[in-house]
Amino acid sequence: MNKIEPRSGKGRTNLSLMPYSFWSLIFVVVPLVFVAYYAFTDDNFRFTTENITRFFTATSALKEDDGTLREVHTYLVIFMRSLKLAAISTVICLLMGYPLAYIIARAKARTQKMLVTLIMIPMWMNFLIRTYAWMTILQDTGILNSMLSVVGLGPVRIIGTEAAVVIGMVYDYFPYMVLPIYSIMAKMDMKLFEAARDLGCNGFGVLKRVIFPLSLPGVLSGINMVLIPSVSTFYISQKLGNGKFFLIGDAIEGQYIANNLHFAAAIAFILMVILLVCMGLLKYLAAKFVYGGE
Amino acid sequence: MHNHLIEFKNVSKTFDTTEALSNINLYVDENEFLTLLGPSGCGKSTLLRLIAGFESPTDGQLLFEGQDLSSIPPHKRKVNTVFQKYALFPHLNVYDNIAFGMKIQKKSKKEIEYEVGRVLELVNLKGFDRRSVDSLSGGQQQRIAIARAIVNKPHVLLLDEPLAALDLKLRKDMQIELKNMQKELGVTFIYVTHDQEEALSMSDTIVVLNEGKIQQIGAPCDIYNEPRNAFVADFIGESNIIDGVMLENYKASFSGHTFQCLDKGFAEGEPVDVVVRPEDVDIVPEGEGMLCGNVTQVTFMGVHNEIIVDIGGFKWMIQTTDSVNVGERIGISLDPDAIHIMKKSEYSGMFGDYSSYSNELDELSDPGRDE
Repeated sequence: MNKIEPRSGKGRTNLSLMPYSFWSLIFVVVPLVFVAYYAFTDDNFRFTTENITRFFTATSALKEDDGTLREVHTYLVIFMRSLKLAAISTVICLLMGYPLAYIIARAKARTQKMLVTLIMIPMWMNFLIRTYAWMTILQDTGILNSMLSVVGLGPVRIIGTEAAVVIGMVYDYFPYMVLPIYSIMAKMDMKLFEAARDLGCNGFGVLKRVIFPLSLPGVLSGINMVLIPSVSTFYISQKLGNGKFFLIGDAIEGQYIANNLHFAAAIAFILMVILLVCMGLLKYLAAKFVYGGE
Repeated sequence: MHNHLIEFKNVSKTFDTTEALSNINLYVDENEFLTLLGPSGCGKSTLLRLIAGFESPTDGQLLFEGQDLSSIPPHKRKVNTVFQKYALFPHLNVYDNIAFGMKIQKKSKKEIEYEVGRVLELVNLKGFDRRSVDSLSGGQQQRIAIARAIVNKPHVLLLDEPLAALDLKLRKDMQIELKNMQKELGVTFIYVTHDQEEALSMSDTIVVLNEGKIQQIGAPCDIYNEPRNAFVADFIGESNIIDGVMLENYKASFSGHTFQCLDKGFAEGEPVDVVVRPEDVDIVPEGEGMLCGNVTQVTFMGVHNEIIVDIGGFKWMIQTTDSVNVGERIGISLDPDAIHIMKKSEYSGMFGDYSSYSNELDELSDPGRDE
């Protein structure tokens, strides 16, 4: 994400920022404090780390493919599964979104507007409706399988597989990958590409040495905006995964519904910390390897 | 046949329906400092981009060291460009910006280090290696842009209005430095500018362009002293351009008087454009003048006064160290070598009258317009 430089000097409070500071305090800081407070207290609001340790130590029996039962760390398994599906979705979004963002940014102004609108239109529809739509498409007797049958490739079992969950995530979060990358690419100075070609870069060299490093802030914020909601999603896995792939979001929802507010808060808190560390690491690595340590 | 470094043969370039360059014939020699000079939109930048390979000619042929350039992409041409707004890579520091081209050529680390050090010294920015380009001033960025280009040892260095974004004082210093650098490096410079003073002071050869056509090619003093048409006379320096008639060889008539001149080869009675540079006009007392007029404006310029004199309805500009006052009636006298005769052209009557003086200055001194 772009760094926003403070415009006024240190120690000076800008009055026009007051409503926003107040807003962030009420709706960002206070809820976070509550999450942390609930995560570290028991039902009587006494300090405890039990909720946190439970996340790491709770075990349950997992049925293997061959029918044998295996004892596993319940929440770690769920978390790794969430992270895996989210990471796959993010990579797919990036691989599809990056070239698309580039193509849009290089198009004529009018075409750009149209393409951006096309990408945003699905976002105007409700998230639940979109997921339901994918259910009907991916069902065993759905549109996709009917088409596959016609060409003799189907039917294929898709609904209830990890693939279906990934498809749902990619579809829902794709615009969040394309838009930040596009907005950074649209602002790039074309002269820099010419300069690179002038200095001996072929087309791929320009991409590798100029376009990619300059677009990195957009890529990072795209990854942020896709990875985080994908990791914590619960609805998509329930509807498209037929509830077979219990994700960390489902776990939080389940605990919340079961009125285990403190444990739900603990899972949310741990998830947040891990994601913050991941994003920090990603940013650090990107800076180190692409910008030469600056 | 003598081989030129770069040769344009009947080159034209059309964008959609507008013709940016039409029928350009031009050659550039080894070690030459050639300037493409003209107002905004005259096609000078397009000409440069043709050489760099960012555009290709619609028509005609472009030769580089005797070879046709059309099939050679920009990254394989032995030319490097200094861009108008420098186009330094913001994600790289000074060292990596300069090393960019050599890294692509897979030069050894040791060689890159040596070469970067050498060019940094050449542009007087020793020790700036690790600075980020954003932390540099305009003049410093300009030097880095030059260093980044010349470190690749191009056969030709293309400079697209490289000084346009600098302030006047810095521009003057950089002009001298660039000229010295060109001599030192022994590289051909092709320099694009709309600043005629810059062109006159730096170039070996000036190519004056307007509306996509070459108006005149020549050494700076030839272009200044012997402009071929009213456009060139007006664009390079200040000129009074008066309608006249050639009576016979060495004799021209204008403003109701017959003058001795040094030009010949015109038909008797041929209408011509007469150019008189403001600094070549002598001011004499009213009775002794060949022509007489009223002073309508006096501007103190430091070295001289710039005065506008109304002679028979035509406003002359005269630069003089004499002091005269507005409203005064003065005479002027012209030596034969102060008079330059040009054939009539499409530009006749468009320039050279100083009644609309101020507008013209505004147009010429506008560096902000891109093509």
